[in-house]
Amino acid sequence: MAEEMIRLQNLKKYYGKTRGIENVSLTINKGEIYGFIGPNGAGKSTTIRTIMGLISKTGGKVYIKGKEADPNDPELKRIIGYLPGELNLYGEMTVKQLFCYHQSFYEKDFGERLLYLTEALKIDESKKIEDLSLGNLKKVGIVLALMHEPEILILDEPTSGLDPIMQNTFHDILLKEKERGVTILYSSHILSEVSNLCERIGFIKDGTIINEDYIEKIKKENYSYLKIVSNDIKRIKNGLGLKVYKEDQNGIVFINDLEPNSLVQKLAEYDIKQLFIEEIPLEDLFLNYYK
Amino acid sequence: MIKREFRVNFKSFIIWLSIILVMFLVVFLVYPYIITDDTVKNMDELMKVFPEEVLKTFNMDMESVSTAYGWLKTEGFMFVLLIVGFYSSITGGTVLLKEENDKTIEYLCSLPIKRSKIVTNKIAASLTYIISMILILGVFNYIALILSGDFDQKQFILLSITPVFIALPLFALNMFISTFMHKTRKTVGICLGMVFVFYLLNVLSELSSNVEYIKYLSVYTLADVRNVISNVAINPLNVIISLLLTALLLIGTYIRYNKKELV
Repeated sequence: MAEEMIRLQNLKKYYGKTRGIENVSLTINKGEIYGFIGPNGAGKSTTIRTIMGLISKTGGKVYIKGKEADPNDPELKRIIGYLPGELNLYGEMTVKQLFCYHQSFYEKDFGERLLYLTEALKIDESKKIEDLSLGNLKKVGIVLALMHEPEILILDEPTSGLDPIMQNTFHDILLKEKERGVTILYSSHILSEVSNLCERIGFIKDGTIINEDYIEKIKKENYSYLKIVSNDIKRIKNGLGLKVYKEDQNGIVFINDLEPNSLVQKLAEYDIKQLFIEEIPLEDLFLNYYK
Repeated sequence: MIKREFRVNFKSFIIWLSIILVMFLVVFLVYPYIITDDTVKNMDELMKVFPEEVLKTFNMDMESVSTAYGWLKTEGFMFVLLIVGFYSSITGGTVLLKEENDKTIEYLCSLPIKRSKIVTNKIAASLTYIISMILILGVFNYIALILSGDFDQKQFILLSITPVFIALPLFALNMFISTFMHKTRKTVGICLGMVFVFYLLNVLSELSSNVEYIKYLSVYTLADVRNVISNVAINPLNVIISLLLTALLLIGTYIRYNKKELV
């Protein structure tokens, strides 16, 4: 049985009467990359900040490695690497000074690891933090989160500000971490960004997880676009009984959930000029959840 | 972490210390030239014009400003108490809050350190600077007074210690208040206002025996400069109250900060 690394049980956070998150429950196993997807304001950062103990929870429980987490416990923080969505670091320090400062909390020299990360992410350690661009600041944040070889990585919108090449490098680093057995909670509002990285995805909307599944299953289970050009559109519409995605003078697009054989049988009854079937992109599926 | 605390707070320490040292340096350099027998006579005449209550405000009913030491005991110590009060208040009010204001708290709290340790490090660095300021000022004035002429050494040493009794509770009080705030800008206003109000309450309490009870509302009562000047002694009760108040407020700070919503 897979080892549970993070388990949230009915996690709840209210700011006065305003809901932050409501009954968020999820489990992430060892070595898994979990995509935590939702639009801005859905509750991703609130969930993460509650796990990290930066804000107190109104209800529910957080378990890390099977034990109820005390967010103020330094031993717990030793095994977690955290990259906040909005990263703010000590502007007066140089990158090198900040790395030394960071290491001092772990009473350990991460020399080789630091070299590997700074070279992979092409970081100039002589620059002052306050002079860094958003992308370079994010890279420094990534190094800080990964430097101490954590068992759990909690990443809140980690690629915002990174160029596509650097995003790929970062994802390669994460895949190597996964091989090492690191558990990763990866929050993003861009589904395509995590679809090639994560095994499982949880969708959060209005502070509640509305769906959670394996990415392959979501891809498989979900539907295709079926575009038909015909002079018999009215009859086809009634006969197929599929949900219409859009309709114009060029034809009609259905959201198809029929099995291929059944679809072919049904379509054979109509006079069809052109037929197109295409996979629904994950982004569209994602948007569908938020409708 | 504590090294960084010393480094980031050093600039403000130097600025506040320089303000008061420059002021005192100017006074010590200029005083011997402006105080002649004639000016002392004229000033004493002038002082007779003021009501006793006003003279009390600056301790001028007890001391003549005819010497540098006399000035120090009257107006001089008023400035010391105010400036040390401002520095202690602002340091207390901002030392924790700066991390939230600059939004670096999210990074700091991701590190393997307890919140209580964060508070301890910040208290240690701040109190070191506050005590250093009082100490440096005392040594500076001591040297200046030796060069200026005769003075009561015991009285001076006791006087130099008195700012500690207002600095500690002011620091702790503002630190405690800051655990209810999120922005340093608002807090600095509160810190400055608080020093003025406490000082004013202390002055008002001196004006009439009818309103003497007001002194119990002011931290400045704990400095009790008038008692040190007249009796050359520090009231141990003031020391106890000052330390107890500081300890209670710091305990309150630890409790509050451990529960505080930091982002």
